[in-house]
Amino acid sequence: MSDFWIMAKKEMKNLIRDKKLLFGLIIVPLVLYPAMGKLMQVGLEKAQGETHVAIANFDDGEYGMVLVKTLQNAPNVTVTLINASSVEKALESAAKKNQNVLVVIPRNFSESIRENKPATVELYGIFRSTSTGMKESVSEGRINAVIAVLSEQIARIKIQKLGVTSPDALLHPVRAESMSYLKNKIIPISPSVVSGVLASQSITLPIIVFLMVTITAQMAAGAIAAEKENKTLETLLTLPVKRTTIVASKITGTALMGLIAALAYMIGMRSYLGSLGVQSGISLSDLGLQITPEGMVLFALVIFLTIIFSLSLAMILAIFAQDVQSANTVVSSVILPLAFPAFILMYTGLGELPVEIRYALLADPFTHPIAAYQYMFSGNYTGMLTSIAYLAVLAALTLYTTARIFSTEKVLTAKIGWGRKS
Amino acid sequence: MPAVKVENLEKDYGKVKALKGISFEINEGEIFGLIGPNGAGKSTTLKILSTLLAPTGGRAEIFGHDVVKEAPRIRELISYLPEEAGAYKNLTGREYLEFMAKLYAKNERDATKMIKLGVKLSGLRDRLDDKVSTYSKGMTRKLLLARALMVKPKLAILDEPASGLDIINAYTIRKTIREFARNEGVTFLLSSHNMLEVEFLCHRVALIDSGRIIDIGTPRELKERYDAENLEEVFMRAVGAGGGHYE
Ligand SMILES: Nc1ncnc2c1ncn2[C@@H]1O[C@H](COP(=O)(O)OP(=O)(O)O)[C@@H](O)[C@H]1O
Ligand SMILES: [Mg+2]
Repeated sequence: MSDFWIMAKKEMKNLIRDKKLLFGLIIVPLVLYPAMGKLMQVGLEKAQGETHVAIANFDDGEYGMVLVKTLQNAPNVTVTLINASSVEKALESAAKKNQNVLVVIPRNFSESIRENKPATVELYGIFRSTSTGMKESVSEGRINAVIAVLSEQIARIKIQKLGVTSPDALLHPVRAESMSYLKNKIIPISPSVVSGVLASQSITLPIIVFLMVTITAQMAAGAIAAEKENKTLETLLTLPVKRTTIVASKITGTALMGLIAALAYMIGMRSYLGSLGVQSGISLSDLGLQITPEGMVLFALVIFLTIIFSLSLAMILAIFAQDVQSANTVVSSVILPLAFPAFILMYTGLGELPVEIRYALLADPFTHPIAAYQYMFSGNYTGMLTSIAYLAVLAALTLYTTARIFSTEKVLTAKIGWGRKS
Repeated sequence: MPAVKVENLEKDYGKVKALKGISFEINEGEIFGLIGPNGAGKSTTLKILSTLLAPTGGRAEIFGHDVVKEAPRIRELISYLPEEAGAYKNLTGREYLEFMAKLYAKNERDATKMIKLGVKLSGLRDRLDDKVSTYSKGMTRKLLLARALMVKPKLAILDEPASGLDIINAYTIRKTIREFARNEGVTFLLSSHNMLEVEFLCHRVALIDSGRIIDIGTPRELKERYDAENLEEVFMRAVGAGGGHYE
């Protein structure tokens, strides 16, 4: 095995065995995200799924019963009948049965319909405790859903009474079939779904890139600062190993760990978003947004160069810190402000921005992965190649600087007091 | 050819002049001690010879190779034990020795031999399979000394090998160094502010104070020259401090 791999392996071993890192990199994304998603999902299911209604029918005519029957037959509605002598008794009984909504059909219901007057039903939202949990807060939505179903059913009854044969055509005389037009193609998918898919893509990627850049930068900084903090750096620098090999192995070790972390975040995020129902089962290729292998390779290259840049920048910064904690602070205060502007691109395309802002953004290396992502779909290979050239220059410069500092005594003696004495 | 040749070596840390032109030579197979109080410039000298720092004046050679111009070559000849040092906390002691051996050894067989020697020199036995983070100061120091010696360098540079340790650990470490030097014929350069330690270990010593070398000789020569009982007295008389002259 070459010196390089011996050192890169040690680097990874050291990182993998770091409990804090392992927790942040693997446990959080793989366990916590999906668990969070599941929790939200349980809440949402309760809120969105079936509409449960309790009905107390005080009507003596025919229409009260017809309404109950139609509600019972309506999709996504579960009806619980309550027999009581008064509204109060009915509410007590509904509360006991854990119902959230009680519909009371009053005595004169059939009479009003027969006389073509607006008929009234009373709806009660039932609160069993004063805590405002998820369940209580959606009662309003449920009541509205019940009202919508009721109105439609009553309208249907009235229309049928008028002798109309197809009440649906009268109730919904116009129906919209929504489709989307994207990249010169008609797609039989509603625009809201399409924009949902596009939005979820344009949010997920920047967040993942952001996480990956900051996490790997922190790891690289930590890998250097830990050598100082644990007093292993001097020994390391007297080993019969080229200084460039030391730098390269640290970068490779952390980049590989970063890759694992990014994968973990991607999987965790996907399952989190998936459980929120953002993932509509429609992929970008369903929308006709094809990614060519060339585009993919160029995009991967952009990501790779961005990470190399941020890793070597973090290493340079870490050389000036004396321990891991101050290294983390320094790296955060430099990388976060650099990585943040890229989030503008979550809301808009580069092309839609004023020229000055566009170039200001493009000067920031961390916007390139997101710009390249947009270029990849629009097939703008020139844009991607420009990004690659720019990032390659930056990465080469920072790498060279890192290697230079490592080959001099500065790596040992460089020091800035970050507000505290060493 | 001497193992080490230092000529008018100078080192400034900004305004602080840590070395003001020191010269000495070490013969092959010798255990050479640099003794002096804190801040005398011992660590600075050793760091320059270990290629960690660049001198601001003068020059130094190890087996005929310049420490600045031929730093990579020097790193193949030496093994350096820093004054304050640790090992990778998340590795076990054995993994640490294995990692180091692989970087020095030419092949698998050499590596196995080195590790075997390192295990023996460390004296840590089954504690070698525990993580370094669980080691006491003395255990860590033994592990680091073992890793420095197991590669059988042409020159071992040890900065205060036993300082800050209890007498038992310090004694074990000194004994390990002495036996290793006797068996392997490795040249040693070590520093200490413990004069008795130096007397126990070194063939020749240099007295260093405030970045200057005051005198060089074997412990016996120095004691005769200054008419002293031990090196402590030698040092006090050499720097001109009138230790105990109350008559
Ligand atoms: N990195 C440094 N920056 C500034 N001054 C230093 C540095 N290292 C050592 N010195 C100074 O150089 C002098 C010699 O230090 P050193 O070689 O560590 O002495 P010793 O090892 O003999 O105790 C001391 O005055 C010390 O304060
Ligand atoms: Mg010292």
